[in-house]
Amino acid sequence: MKTLLALMLFAALLPAAAQPEAKPDRTVSIVAERFFFSPSRITVKQGALVEFVLTSEDTEHGFHLAAARVNAVIPQQGKGELRVRFLASKKGKYAFECSRACGAGHNLMRGEVVVK
Amino acid sequence: MVKSVYFAPVLFVCGAYGQSTADLERRVGELTARVQFLEQKLNELLAVKTPPPAEPPAAPVAQLAAEPMPQSLTKPESTSPLEAVSVTGDSRSRADAESRLPVAGYMDFHFNKERGLPGEFDFHRFVLLFGHSFSSRLKFWSELEVEHAFIEGGEESGEVALEQAYLDFLLKPQFNLRAGMLLAPVGIVNERHEPPSFNGVERPFVETFIIPTTWREMGFGATGDLGRGFRYRAYLMSGLDASRFTSGEGFGAGKTNGFLASFRNPAKVTRLEYVGLRRLALGASVYSGHTGFNLHSVNPRVDIFDVDGRYSYRRLDFRGLFADTWISRAGELNRALQLETGSNPNIASRMRGAYLESAVHLLPRQNRNDLILFARREAWNTQRRMPEGYVPLPQFDRTSWVLGATYKPHADIAVKFDYGFNSSARSVFRPADTINFGIGWWF
Repeated sequence: MKTLLALMLFAALLPAAAQPEAKPDRTVSIVAERFFFSPSRITVKQGALVEFVLTSEDTEHGFHLAAARVNAVIPQQGKGELRVRFLASKKGKYAFECSRACGAGHNLMRGEVVVK
Repeated sequence: MVKSVYFAPVLFVCGAYGQSTADLERRVGELTARVQFLEQKLNELLAVKTPPPAEPPAAPVAQLAAEPMPQSLTKPESTSPLEAVSVTGDSRSRADAESRLPVAGYMDFHFNKERGLPGEFDFHRFVLLFGHSFSSRLKFWSELEVEHAFIEGGEESGEVALEQAYLDFLLKPQFNLRAGMLLAPVGIVNERHEPPSFNGVERPFVETFIIPTTWREMGFGATGDLGRGFRYRAYLMSGLDASRFTSGEGFGAGKTNGFLASFRNPAKVTRLEYVGLRRLALGASVYSGHTGFNLHSVNPRVDIFDVDGRYSYRRLDFRGLFADTWISRAGELNRALQLETGSNPNIASRMRGAYLESAVHLLPRQNRNDLILFARREAWNTQRRMPEGYVPLPQFDRTSWVLGATYKPHADIAVKFDYGFNSSARSVFRPADTINFGIGWWF
């Protein structure tokens, strides 16, 4: 009987894991273009599950958010989007930058996540 | 009944596998991150009520060092201040980008033909870009260019040029320092000159004669992001060389390009940009500097003011620029140069130029390729106002319609064609129309 109850409990819990992914608390669309991110400063609440949806208006750009240990490539224009989810665990200001050489003003292509 | 209960977990497991493994992994990652966050919060709450441990606390958690970055994170590190949950859509692994020596570049070659003259092929630019991150706050960037493919000492056929080479000291978003060989932050093209980023085989006339491109000088200054879409750059740079100004090409030949550049009277240049709305970029630049370091008797000041903008609406692109310039003591400059060279350079006291360009993308945004038709109207006058005693020549009051197409089989490759209908205020001799083909690419 105990085994039966354990299996029923397991069966009841499984759907939770099989549900579609949780809706983020905050979704931010960010456009990357030579040589800026727009918006470049994003404020989120501590504890929020945040999703960045990054698209490019021209070439491939990098998205390096060191505080989240994320370094990924934003596909070039017309070839999709990059989605980055993270949990804003700790208050603070965290820089992100383009990590793929994109032209003469590459070093200026930076932004900041502010967790309040 | 009992059997069906026993099968229930199996059915649920099958249902779970009906979704993609990646979704499940992402979901597990999210749940793990949330649990870790709650654990952390709980520990913080408990820590308030319990005495601190005897041993010293752990190192600060915000490690912004450039360690290798995992590509897709389903097991976030609890020590990260931002706990990555998932990364999707990453088209290429660049885990160590910027911590090594990245090399990028652009190239273009042209076929140019003036009406009535034979056409010419020209491998115009071969440019390699190098950068290096000493740390997350200290970065180096450079651009090394070979122009016109062939270089031989002393000849004007080509050049090897350092277009930019500078160090960035990244302090805070609002204020950073930069020093080295810098691009003058004036106009659209000077700082944004990769071939796929503008229409037309050659750069706009206004951004050649009124705002010289590629205009770089030695200097230092500040850059920053002021928030709400406003950015700025403010530099002190070596000045233009008035001894090389000409009546027809304006300031174009007056760039020192960092070679024997004078810092006796550094020029001040500031640019403010607004990029706060999607697909809109507005900018304004002010330049002011003395230019007589190669002259003994006169030290003219050059002031340049420019406003420019770019805007895209659906499949339409618009861009425009207006630039006005002033040269002080132009009469004395002309007399000084005439004494040195024996001929009157007839340099103006004021030059002005403007252009408007509209373009339409013929293919849908989702398409792999892009085909753009564009029309650009330019007007520029390198002798808009003359110093007393000098007469403007009408052939320097010029206009042009440039009509063309850009085909992009890839976002970083541009196959270009344009036809320029050129004219001037001179009624007797009309400047020749031009036809240009070119291929440029960025990598």
